[in-house]
Amino acid sequence: MRKKAWREAGTGYFLLSPTLFVLLLFIIGPILFAIFLAFHKVQLLGTTTFEFVGFDNFKRIAGDLRAKIALWNTVKYVVIVVPCQTMLALVLAATLNAGLKGQTFFRIVYFLPTLTSSAVLTLIFMWMYNQNGLINHLLQAVGLPTYNWLGDPKVALNAIMVMNIWSTAPFFMVIYLAALQDIPDSLYEAAELDGANAIQKFWYVTVPYLRPVTSFVVIMGLIGTFQLFDQSYIFSAGSGGPNNSTLTVVLLIYQYAFKTLGTMGYAAALAFALAIIILIATLLQRKFSKEESLY
Amino acid sequence: MKKWLAISMSTMLLGSALAGCSSGNEKTAGKETGGTKDEKVEVTLAGWGGNPTEQKLLQQTLDEFQKKYPNIKVKYEVISDQYMDVIKTRLVGGEGPDVFYLDAFEAPALMKTGALESLDQYVTDDFDINDFEKPLLDAFKGEDGKIYGFPKDYSTLALFYNKKMFQEAGVEVPKTWDELREVAKKLTKGTQVYGFGVAPELARLYYIAESKGGKVVTDNKASFADPKVVEALQPIVDMRVKDKSAAQPNEVGANWGGEMFGQGKAAMVIEGNWAIPFLKDTFPNLEYGTAEVPTIDGKKATMAYTVAYVMNKNSKKKEAAWKLLSFLTGKEGMKIWTSKGLALPTRKSVAAELGFDKDPLRAPIVAGASYATVWQNGTNLPIITNNFNNQFVSAFLGQRPLADALKEAQETANKEIEGNK
Repeated sequence: MRKKAWREAGTGYFLLSPTLFVLLLFIIGPILFAIFLAFHKVQLLGTTTFEFVGFDNFKRIAGDLRAKIALWNTVKYVVIVVPCQTMLALVLAATLNAGLKGQTFFRIVYFLPTLTSSAVLTLIFMWMYNQNGLINHLLQAVGLPTYNWLGDPKVALNAIMVMNIWSTAPFFMVIYLAALQDIPDSLYEAAELDGANAIQKFWYVTVPYLRPVTSFVVIMGLIGTFQLFDQSYIFSAGSGGPNNSTLTVVLLIYQYAFKTLGTMGYAAALAFALAIIILIATLLQRKFSKEESLY
Repeated sequence: MKKWLAISMSTMLLGSALAGCSSGNEKTAGKETGGTKDEKVEVTLAGWGGNPTEQKLLQQTLDEFQKKYPNIKVKYEVISDQYMDVIKTRLVGGEGPDVFYLDAFEAPALMKTGALESLDQYVTDDFDINDFEKPLLDAFKGEDGKIYGFPKDYSTLALFYNKKMFQEAGVEVPKTWDELREVAKKLTKGTQVYGFGVAPELARLYYIAESKGGKVVTDNKASFADPKVVEALQPIVDMRVKDKSAAQPNEVGANWGGEMFGQGKAAMVIEGNWAIPFLKDTFPNLEYGTAEVPTIDGKKATMAYTVAYVMNKNSKKKEAAWKLLSFLTGKEGMKIWTSKGLALPTRKSVAAELGFDKDPLRAPIVAGASYATVWQNGTNLPIITNNFNNQFVSAFLGQRPLADALKEAQETANKEIEGNK
């Protein structure tokens, strides 16, 4: 009997082997190697050396001012962008599900930004934010003062936030739209019988029913925003400026890994730390949303 | 029957293909051992692309080279963005080009890693090493005293001024920084035209920063919070914050100084030789002149930027690579490459022959070479520059005092340098 079980498992693993091989080679292998790198001082160029340094790379994070700025920028970005895009996505989805005329058309229009590559979007927004760009022209037309949106450290990150909320919300809107189709009409009818108005129906029926989906949207949003890289990279041409205002953790990892020589190990340590931060944030989110209590 | 025919046909084809392969192998193998002349070698050359005119000139130089050495084929690769990141990654992966561009700014760190081939062993008397401008050649000498690259061209900074605006404002071309500051005030028209366009980055401000006796880098560490450096840089910040007569390009929607100047949004900028062809192509009607950078305390100062051709230590075709490198930086190749004045020759003999010191727009740039500071200082300059630029902007925009900004930047830079050890 046992032999048979082994044989069956063996066949199973044999059939799985191509997938397992790919997983090991491209996912698990690199993760293990990154952990290995995080504990070493690595010199890749010229003569390749790996020198074991224990927790030195992690200790260094604590004293690194730029790492602190990067983390602070990233956290600020997450805390503002995730709730905004989630709420916007929910409101958009609810509106476009209310049976308005031409709602299919609007669904397509709203979804368009998500289809555009983020690099292209960033470049378009940089033109709009430019001193001679669309936004300043509009401000001028209404008689308001213009502003140097890209050059001022105080607003540079906010400019990226606005862009990202605008482009990511529609993606989550589609997920909400799909979930909205699942809410039975009987619930709304019952609410109507109890005299609930449109807002009450939204708040007491739609929102609670969408909770698991919201949980998914928030987790995906958290992961996506913590990994902010391309937008701030293009905005600052890779430097994280002006005045470190668009420096994010992933951008810092990139700089240490590829810009400065011999800091690959420190970059790996930073990446490892970021993974842990994302893990904690996700766990916290799950705890607060009490998703399980629904089932 | 048909089936058999197909099979026999394909077998024959396969057979002949294999035979072709093996005979080909034999041939090359024979050649390698025999070392006959008609052995064809392919050498890769990597650089960042330039404007179309530059590309054409380089192609012309390479064509000339291939005519001279018909058995060497040059494969030119353009890395248009994040050049150094790509080069470093490719060197690590063992896929580096045989010969490539290297900016003097990045050279010390790369020379130290041992990824570059030292070139002393290849140099012959014919190559005439003493013909190079010494400060430019020294930029590519490693700590071990060996030469790792030969400079292909250079540029210094000069003052570009808009002749029409100067006439309208009735001012003279400034000879000193104090004059420049006064002139800038007169040339400024609100936020439409600024007197002086500034690039708020260390690469462009280094010579100013050190003009009062302070040092930006000491013992391979940042030392730009020195009060003497702050004092030297303060006038630039004051021009932006107090006089409102200076601005950085992005404040007027331009990408760099040359564009800002060309669009008529700055009456003066300090740029290099690269701005001349750009202005000619993009703003052909602009009337402008160039002058040497104004003096500070009666002393002349400017920056020099240079790029060399270097050889990959792991190259498998070093002999051919050297032939290419020595042709490109030799008298013949350099003359073709610099003939249009897009770049200035680093060899004295070529410079004398082409006579750019008599060209009205380029004369001030050539004159700067004798007293310019080469943009290079030890292996940590990239880190120091990055931190300086990041903080200097906030002082330049008037958000915090210069001394504070530089102090913080210096601490961050030195901490980073310490951590990298």
